[in-house]
Amino acid sequence: MSTLILAIALLPLSGSLAALLGARARGAGNAACISAATSFGLVVWLVAKVSQHPHYSAFDGFVYIDGLSAFFLLAVSLVVLLASLGSAAYLRAEETSGDLTPLQVRLYFGFFGVFAALMLASLCTGNLGMLFVLIEGSTLASVALVGLDGSAPSLEAAWKYVIISSLGVTIALIGTLYLFYSGTGLHLASNLGLTWPYLYQHAGALAHQSLRLAFLLAVIGYGTKVGLAPMHTWLPDAHSQAPSPASAMLSAALLNTGMYAIIRFLAIARVGLGEDYVRAVMLTFGFLSVVIGVLFMVRNGNFKRLFAYSSVEHMGIIAIALGFGGQLGFYGALLHVLNHAIGKSVLFITSGDVVLGYHTRDADDVRGLLGVLPVTGTVLLLASLAILGSPPFGLFLSELTILRAGFAHTLWLPMLLLVLLVIGFIGFAKTTTSMVFGEADHPVQAYSTITQRRLAAAPIVAGTILLVVLGLWIPSPLHTAIMASIGSIS
Amino acid sequence: MESLAATSITGISLDLLSVLMLLCAFACLGSKLFNRYVYYYGLQSVLLSAATAIVAYTYGRVELWVLAVLTLAIKGIGIPTMTRHLLIEKLELKRDVAVSTGLSTALIVGGVLTAFSYLVTTPALLPKGLVAAAVVPISTAIILLGALTMVVRRHTVAQLIGWLLLENGVFLGAITLVAAFPFIVEAGVFLDLVAAVLIMVVFVSGLGRRLAEASSGEMRGLRG
Repeated sequence: MSTLILAIALLPLSGSLAALLGARARGAGNAACISAATSFGLVVWLVAKVSQHPHYSAFDGFVYIDGLSAFFLLAVSLVVLLASLGSAAYLRAEETSGDLTPLQVRLYFGFFGVFAALMLASLCTGNLGMLFVLIEGSTLASVALVGLDGSAPSLEAAWKYVIISSLGVTIALIGTLYLFYSGTGLHLASNLGLTWPYLYQHAGALAHQSLRLAFLLAVIGYGTKVGLAPMHTWLPDAHSQAPSPASAMLSAALLNTGMYAIIRFLAIARVGLGEDYVRAVMLTFGFLSVVIGVLFMVRNGNFKRLFAYSSVEHMGIIAIALGFGGQLGFYGALLHVLNHAIGKSVLFITSGDVVLGYHTRDADDVRGLLGVLPVTGTVLLLASLAILGSPPFGLFLSELTILRAGFAHTLWLPMLLLVLLVIGFIGFAKTTTSMVFGEADHPVQAYSTITQRRLAAAPIVAGTILLVVLGLWIPSPLHTAIMASIGSIS
Repeated sequence: MESLAATSITGISLDLLSVLMLLCAFACLGSKLFNRYVYYYGLQSVLLSAATAIVAYTYGRVELWVLAVLTLAIKGIGIPTMTRHLLIEKLELKRDVAVSTGLSTALIVGGVLTAFSYLVTTPALLPKGLVAAAVVPISTAIILLGALTMVVRRHTVAQLIGWLLLENGVFLGAITLVAAFPFIVEAGVFLDLVAAVLIMVVFVSGLGRRLAEASSGEMRGLRG
């Protein structure tokens, strides 16, 4: 089992290795895709195994897998697979056109692999100190991706990203310290003390005051990585400046990794402090994020920034779902994590094709996508509808579940959420529909060869099909996996 | 009424060192010269290394001795020297003019934050039998002062120093727990150190003057 887990986390490094050995975009891209696919396959196997054995721990809790980590591994490794396919096509096109030098391409694949490996590894550890180390490491690995093209705006975005995220994760470390303070009354045996399962088992015995502080600091700290408002300020800049497949990784994998860390703290705090405090914290940050996300989505000219603010909104929705709590709330939250991950990777990878074709990130300059890039245009239209939560896509189902969980408590909070979602819908759909329809004023070509075109279409078409499938029907293994994750945190 | 007063010699010397570290943070906040920032940061790191050595001596932990030496070498000597050579001399930085509030205001706010950290870390919050309980509110204060430095200063190099101060604060808080603390926090703090070095090398010197000269206050390209 340990070998399996290590393999999952280490496989993405083969893309980095290929880049290190001097492979061009094609070789490194192939290595990244094959390893991501293998890693995803292994995760599926792991999820099946975890449903039989609820948890597995080794090396004093440094390696720890339960239902929750298996589920998040599934979401993140799927995103890594989609983004690797996207990167292979995008970077090849950039290399051919000479927009990126061979060194930049190698740097991209090098850091892409490290970034993916660190995120997968952070989902496999039960040691909260190690969790901090790995998440901080993933920040460092992804900074290079954000600042890859070396232009002034992308350097500015990278600086903002690294300084705000590191500050945030340091706050999370202080939260972790306070969690440890709260447990000092317990007999903590060396490394066992900071492992999540141990603290979770003894959550009832933790000192309340410091646990309260610990939870708040952890939500603020890891919330910075998640992009919860008001700590979201780095997010639109980094997402809009990074190469599009890397934006997909940031938005769909990194944010989820942060959310995973918050859920770990939340599970302890729920037992130690009761529902009310946790609910108040999560709902406050959740609603604030949805409001900020929606407000900035209305009339945002840069489509990549638009998608980024949509991520802020969706992370807010997940936080709200966790705040509502209960079986239904958690179910909705986890389902939404998966759906949003797929939808947002598709959108960002699609935005890469648009950038390649039109050489702009301004939505006003993009017209008639459906005519000139039919596959990209169709997918952009469908994925926008999906991310906005319209039926028959997966996000409709998960948002419905979250609203139902909310109505179990109050009437007006879910109503407020519904109103905000509608405003977001109008703002977002206005921009994307105007991109898709109309007439293009000049000829547009995103990819020069048929192979590249096929490679680029693969992740976005597959992702869209998955979104439709998840909207119509939740496969029973997925249902089992979600129930197993809820079981491991409540 | 419980108090934070230390009883052992170790505790008293740790308290003393942490107070000196707090003063360094204040000195940094109140200064306007780049040279001084680096000087006070280096001094604070040396004090931190001494505090680590005291804890290491008291508990007889080898890994802490290693840590004390590393802190002295990297934070006390390495980073300040590098900053001076790579940034301050090369970019001819002298006076920091990109300050968003007056220095006196910043210092007053710093005082309020210190008082606040004493209010938050009440004795009831802390575990029993801590070797130097007063270190916890002081380290919280250093963390807040570091954050304040980052907020008040607009220059990227000054913000970097603010972040490093904050790191020292976290580190100081962590070593008081170290008797029972797994090594991983040390690893974590060191990873942050790597982060600091990376930030410095990659962003501020490696990627060109443009960014170092531009204060982050002038970074106005990305908005909305």
